[in-house]
Amino acid sequence: MSASHHDPLSHPEVQLASGRGYVANFLVTTLLMGFGLWLSVTHAVAPLTLVAVTSGIAAVAVGVQAYLLLHMNLSEAQIWHTVAMILFLPLFVVTIGLTAWMFHGLYARTMIMSPHIGAFLHR
Amino acid sequence: MGRLSLRQIPYQNPILVGTFVFALILGAAIVGLVTYHKRWGVLWREWLTTVDHKKIGVMYCLIGLVMLFRGFIDALMIRTQQAIAVGPHSPGYLGALHGYLTPFHAGQIFTAHGLIMVVFAATPLLVGLMNIIVPLQIGARDMAYPYLNALGLWLTAAGAALVMVSLFIGNFAHGGWYGFVPYFELPYSPGVGVDYWLWAFQLSVLGTTLGSINLIATIVKMRAPGMTWMRMPIFTWASLSANLIALTTFPVLMVCLALLASDRYFGTHFYTAGMGGNLMLYNDLFWVWGHPEVYFLILPAFGMMSEIVPTFSEKTLFGYATMVIASFAIGGVSWGVWLHHFFTMAAAPSVNSFYSVTTMLVGIPTGVKVFNWIFTMYRGRVRFELPMMWAVLSLFLLLVGGLTGMMNAFATNDYMWHNGVFVVAHFHLMVLLIAASIFGSVEYWFPKVFGFKLEARWGKAFFWCIVLGTGWVFIPMFLLGFAGMTRRLDYIPYTQWGPYLRVMLVGMGFYILAVAFFFMHLYVSLRDRAKNRVGADAWGTSRSLEWMTHSPVPAYNFAFVPQVHARDEWAWRKEQGVADLKSGPYRDIHMPGNTGVPFVLGALALALAFALTWRIWWLSGLALALCVAVVIVRAFAEDTDTVISAQDVERAERRYHDGEVVPMEEPMGRPTPRPAT
Amino acid sequence: MSVMSRSENARSLGLWDRDHEGHDVIGTRTFGFWLYMLTDAMVYAALFATFGVLSHVVNLAGGPSPAAVVHPVYAYGETVALFVSVLAYGGAMVALKAGNKAALIGALGAAMVAGGVFLGLAYSDIERLFHAGIVPQASGYLSIFFGLILYHALHILVGMVWMLVMIVQVMTRGFTSNVVYRLINLRLFWHFQAVIWVFVFTFVYLQGTVL
Repeated sequence: MSASHHDPLSHPEVQLASGRGYVANFLVTTLLMGFGLWLSVTHAVAPLTLVAVTSGIAAVAVGVQAYLLLHMNLSEAQIWHTVAMILFLPLFVVTIGLTAWMFHGLYARTMIMSPHIGAFLHR
Repeated sequence: MGRLSLRQIPYQNPILVGTFVFALILGAAIVGLVTYHKRWGVLWREWLTTVDHKKIGVMYCLIGLVMLFRGFIDALMIRTQQAIAVGPHSPGYLGALHGYLTPFHAGQIFTAHGLIMVVFAATPLLVGLMNIIVPLQIGARDMAYPYLNALGLWLTAAGAALVMVSLFIGNFAHGGWYGFVPYFELPYSPGVGVDYWLWAFQLSVLGTTLGSINLIATIVKMRAPGMTWMRMPIFTWASLSANLIALTTFPVLMVCLALLASDRYFGTHFYTAGMGGNLMLYNDLFWVWGHPEVYFLILPAFGMMSEIVPTFSEKTLFGYATMVIASFAIGGVSWGVWLHHFFTMAAAPSVNSFYSVTTMLVGIPTGVKVFNWIFTMYRGRVRFELPMMWAVLSLFLLLVGGLTGMMNAFATNDYMWHNGVFVVAHFHLMVLLIAASIFGSVEYWFPKVFGFKLEARWGKAFFWCIVLGTGWVFIPMFLLGFAGMTRRLDYIPYTQWGPYLRVMLVGMGFYILAVAFFFMHLYVSLRDRAKNRVGADAWGTSRSLEWMTHSPVPAYNFAFVPQVHARDEWAWRKEQGVADLKSGPYRDIHMPGNTGVPFVLGALALALAFALTWRIWWLSGLALALCVAVVIVRAFAEDTDTVISAQDVERAERRYHDGEVVPMEEPMGRPTPRPAT
Repeated sequence: MSVMSRSENARSLGLWDRDHEGHDVIGTRTFGFWLYMLTDAMVYAALFATFGVLSHVVNLAGGPSPAAVVHPVYAYGETVALFVSVLAYGGAMVALKAGNKAALIGALGAAMVAGGVFLGLAYSDIERLFHAGIVPQASGYLSIFFGLILYHALHILVGMVWMLVMIVQVMTRGFTSNVVYRLINLRLFWHFQAVIWVFVFTFVYLQGTVL
C-alpha cells in the first residue's frame, strides 16, 4: 500500500457531503416518525393498519436515509458500498422472514398455552 | 479470583496429567530450541509482530495443524471408548463403569472434538491458505488491511489457546459442540465448561469476521491492473464467495452466543424453558450460521481442487463461468437451508418441505462443479503427483458425502435418523473432503511459500493411510447408522454393534499411521530441502499469477505489479514466450510496517475471556479497559509504513535470479523517515 | 538478447505496471468499514428476528405487555435528539469538504452534545422502567426489549468516544489522509445509527403499543 500523495480533502467521499441533503433528510425523517407517533398515540387506525402503515413509513424513511445520509448510489466512489448493501438486503429478509415463518407454525402447534398458565407454572 | 482456585486443576485424572506432562515437555523443548538458537528476537520481530499476509497465513496453518492433532487425539479417545464400552459386561478402567472415560469426561471430549475440528482446525487452515494465496493470485502486494489481518490471527490464536487452557484448569463443555439449550443454561450447567466453550467460540467468531472483511476488500479493491472479474482465478472466486458467507453469517452466531451468555451472566430469559424464553430460538440462530458455515469451509476446498486439477491435467479449467456461477449459487442457497438441522422441531409441514427442497437444490451447482473437474481431466495429460491424488480423493469423498447428504435432505428420513451416526458419517466425509483438499493444496502451494517441494514417498504413505482409515472407520459407521445407533454415546447397550465398533478401530490404526507418516513427511522434506529446491513455477504447468513471482515469495510479492492480459495470465505469458521478461529499473516499494499491537490485543482478549469464564470481575474490567486504551493509542500512531528501497529490491531480485534462497524471515525495509512538516 | 532490449520489450508489451500508484487508501478503508457496518446490521437483523420470536403472548410470562412498557412519546424525544446529532455530523462533513477545521470541531461537539441528550433520555426511560420492576430478567419479551435498546445505546456511547478522539486528532494532526478516512468511517457509523433507530422506534415503540 503506498501513501497517497493527493490532497485527502479532494477525495470523492469527502466531496459528496451535501448540507442541503442532510437538512432535507432531517426534515423528512423527523416528520415521518412524527406522523407514525401521531397514528400510534391517537389510536387513529386499527392495530393491523397501524402495523402496516408504520412499517411503510419506516421503509420510506430508511430509503430516504440510504440515499441522502449513506449516499447509496452508483457513482464510481460509492458503487461497491451500494452493491454490498444490496447483497445484504435479501439476507436480512431471509433471517427475519424465515425465522418468523418457522416459529409462527411452531407456536401454532406446540405452545397452545395461555399466559396465565405460564405464570402459574413458574411462580 | 472469582471461581478459580487450585482445586480446579484436574490432577486426579491420569489422562489429563499425562497430557499436561506431554505439553510441558513439548513446550520446554520449543522454548529450549528457540533459546539455544537465539531466535527470540527473530521470532518477535519477523513473526509475532508481522503484518505480512504470507507469514500470517503460515501461522494460521500452524494453529490449524496443532489443533487438528488435538482434535484427532479426541477422536481416537471417542473411538476406543466406544469399542470398549459395549454391553453390560464390558470392563471399566480409571474410575469409569464401562470403558475408561466417565460420561462427564466423554462428553467433554466429543464437544471439544467437534468445536476444535470445525472452528480451530479447518477454519484456520483454510483462512491461512486464502491469506497466503489470494493476494498473490490477484497480483497484490498485501491484503487491504494488514494490521486487521494480524488482529484476526491473534484473536483466533487466543480462542484456540482458551480451549487448550480448559484442559488443565477446570473443564470443558460436555453437551456437544453446538450446545444444547436449556442444558447449557446456568441452572443445568453451572460449571466453567460452557463458559470456556462460549468465549473460545466468540473469539473465533470475531477473528473470522474481521478476516472475511479483509479478504473481500482485498479482492474488490486490490486487484492488479487488467485483472477483471472474469480473469480472476477460481480459488479467488471461491474465497470471495466463502468469505461473503462468513461476513453475513458470523454476526448471527455472535448474537446467538451473546444471548446465551446474557442468560448465563445476567439471568435474562432468551432461551430458558419457561419465563417466556424460547429454546428453539437458540437452534434457529445457531444454524442460521451453522449451515452456511459448512459452505464457508467447503467452497475454498472446491477452489483448491479447481486450481490443482487443471495444473495436473495440463489443461485450462473446463467451464470457468459455470464454476463462478456455481460457487455463488452454493453461497446463495446455503442461506436458505438451516432448518434441516432440526427438522424434528415440529415446524409446519410446509416449512419442512421448503427446507427439504432448498437443501436438495444445493446438489445442482455442486454437480456442475463435479462435472467441470471431470471434464477438465478428460483428455488431459493427467499426472498423479501428490496434490492431484488428494484432489481426486476429494472428488470421491464429495460423491459419497454429497449423495448421503441428499438422503438426509428428506425430512421424512431425518425423522428416523435424527442425531444418528448416519448423519455423523455423512458430515465426516464432507469435512474429510475439506481436509483432503487442504492437504492437497498444502502439497501444491508449499513450494511457493517455502521454496522447496515436499518429498513424495512418505507423503504417498500418508495419503494411502488416510484413504484406508476413512474406509475402515466410516463404512461401518454408515451401517451402524442404518442399525439406529445415535451419536455421542459413552456406553453402547447393544452388543451386536460391538464388532462394527471394533472394526472401526482398524481404521483408527491406519489414521495413527497416517499421523506418523505425516510427521515423517515433514521431517524428511525439511532434511532434504536442498534436493527439492524449486524455482518460481514449481510444477511447471501452473497457470495463475502466484507462480509468476519467486519461491519463496519475497516480502513485496511482486517487484513490479503485473499487468494482466488473460484469464490464466501465467499460462498466457508462457505461451507468448514472455514469461522471463522483467522490467528495470526498480522502484521504492511502500509496505506496512510490523507492529506488536495485534499480538497485545490478542493476549488481552485471552485474558478477558479467561476472566469472564472464571468470573474474575476485576481482571475482566482491566483487560477490557486495556483493550480500549490500546485501540485508541494505536489510532494515534501515524508512521505505520516502511519503505523497501529500490536498491534493496534489486539486491533481492538478483539473489533470486542467481538461484539463492532468501529466507522468509529475512528483514526487509526500514521505517519511513518522518516527513518534515 | 541484451538485458536492456529485453526490458524494453517487456515495457512495450505492457507486462508490468511500473508506475503503480498504490491503492486509494481512503476508498479502501471506508469500503472495509462499510462491510463491518453491514455485519453490524446483520447483528441487528438477528436481534429483530429474536424480537419477533419472543413477542408472542407466551413470552410475556405473565409479565407486563409491550403496551405497558413502551413510551412512544418519550422515544420520539430520543428520535429527535439522535436525528439532530446526525444532522450535526452532516454539518461536520460539510465543514470537512470546505477544509474548515474550526467549524468541523464545532459540529462534532454539537453532535456529541445531541448524542449525550439521546443517552440521557434513554437512561431516564430505562431507569423509570427499572423502578417499576420492569427488568430484563422478568420475561423473554423484556430480555430482548432491553437487549435491543441497550445494544443501540452502546453504539451511541462508542460513537461519542470516537468523536472525542477525532476532535483531538483533527486539532493535533489536521486533515491527513488517516484522519480523513476515520472521519468518513465515523460518518458511516453515526449515520447508520439513525437508520437502525428508525427500525427500533417503529417496531419496538410504535408497534409495541398494539402488541
